[in-house]
Amino acid sequence: MIMANDLLGRELTTDEAAILEVYERLKTLAARDDLAPGVAANLRHALSYAHNAVNGLALTYEHLLDHEV
Amino acid sequence: VTQPKTSGSPYWSPKTETLPRADLHTLQLAKLRYVTEWAAARSPHYQERFAAAGFSPDRLRSLDDLRRLPYLTRQEWMDGQAARPPYGTLPVTDHRAAIRLHTTSGTTGKEPLRALDSRKDWAWAGEMWCYGMWAMGVRPGDIVYLAFGYGSFIGFWGLHYGLEKLGALVIPGGAQPTERRIRQIADFGATVVASTPTYAMRLAQEARVQGVDLSAVRTVVLSGEPAGSIPETKRLIEDQWGANAYDTAGMTEISTIFMFECAHQPGGAHIIEDHMIEEVVDPESGAPTPYGEMGERVVTSFGRSMIPLIRYRTNDLVVKVPYDRCGCGRTFDIYEGGVLGRADDMKLVRGTNVYPRAIESIVRGHPEVDEFQVRLFRESIRDEICLRVELHDQLRTADDWPRLAEALHKELADAHEGLNFKVELAEPGALPRFELKARRLVDER
Repeated sequence: MIMANDLLGRELTTDEAAILEVYERLKTLAARDDLAPGVAANLRHALSYAHNAVNGLALTYEHLLDHEV
Repeated sequence: VTQPKTSGSPYWSPKTETLPRADLHTLQLAKLRYVTEWAAARSPHYQERFAAAGFSPDRLRSLDDLRRLPYLTRQEWMDGQAARPPYGTLPVTDHRAAIRLHTTSGTTGKEPLRALDSRKDWAWAGEMWCYGMWAMGVRPGDIVYLAFGYGSFIGFWGLHYGLEKLGALVIPGGAQPTERRIRQIADFGATVVASTPTYAMRLAQEARVQGVDLSAVRTVVLSGEPAGSIPETKRLIEDQWGANAYDTAGMTEISTIFMFECAHQPGGAHIIEDHMIEEVVDPESGAPTPYGEMGERVVTSFGRSMIPLIRYRTNDLVVKVPYDRCGCGRTFDIYEGGVLGRADDMKLVRGTNVYPRAIESIVRGHPEVDEFQVRLFRESIRDEICLRVELHDQLRTADDWPRLAEALHKELADAHEGLNFKVELAEPGALPRFELKARRLVDER
């Protein structure tokens, strides 16, 4: 589920909501164990950089070791 | 050629770099809660230390509660490495979750510290460098030369990855002679060069000797030594290169930089406070040090998942001043004068405190000096201090030296309660040159 507010309690802008949605989708995909090795590795790499985007916007903050990221 | 698409923002992360301080503290507290919970749940070191201190993450109500948490010292990190080799008791999981291993430089002769990073940890390390590069005016299209050996020491590795992401063209200098690096900087038209302050001076000198034109370089990124914020050294580098020089500082323990100097050059460097909490404490008592007073840096980093770093005693001496000393618009506080030295750098010579930074500040006020070394030794029962100096080739004349020696002797004595420094002229090439972390003070006592 996409959060309605950022870490400061502010309502997300349309752009922020879209960016957070991309991040959450990557997380879901990175957690799968049935994807081709190349696909999984590239998605995990993308997730590591997407985290910088959501973290830099104070949308969410977390560690991702459980996603192998 | 298509122009890179960028927003034109002067900030890499506009939302968090300009947050009102109260909001910044809210963000820090949210991250601190997460990190302490993470560490308490997964890191053997913190499980033991939190239990011993009677600390539970659910007791964190405000940033002031941070002081309830125990410090982490380098000795504890090393003890953990010895007890559970090779990575110690801090990591939250084993090496299979990591994609990189880096170590400290080992220049102090101590056992190197080993640090692991996951994919996300490493992506974050590059991100911190991007904050700094953007603030210095580095943009997509810049050609950046990294005068760096690319070994296991972390050095400019994070900068390399950050610049690739930023969209600059990165030229890895790698392990090759200075003459060849100079040639590459010129041949590839580098607009930005990154190196230690000491090595930046050596590159410039070598370029002069070779007659190589480095005028395309407009920015010199400095890191690895406190000299990047010593005004005399910095001015010398800027004069030699005809470019702006900006200071940064980082450490292997956090995998990246914790501060950067912005294009406004406010006489210090902004702390990256949306990703770290930097306390300044009295090295002896541990009491918080107010703005404007020197103390020891204690860092809590939100970046690494493999190795939580909470209240790490860095041994770095700093003076924190409020963000509004700078007019750039960032709300990140500033370390005035950068990292001023190490708490264990100070030497006692016949009852007088001697700091390497203070000596460098005086010596670099004399551009005739090429290289120098400070030697501490004992003659019978008396401590002696000697400054050995090498001059630039073109200035090495019999007439110059007595005047310069007298000036150095007087300035050093004036700055050190009248302490009598011997001042000696060294033969050309007699003193060591450095690429990483210059160590110019030799204590033979």
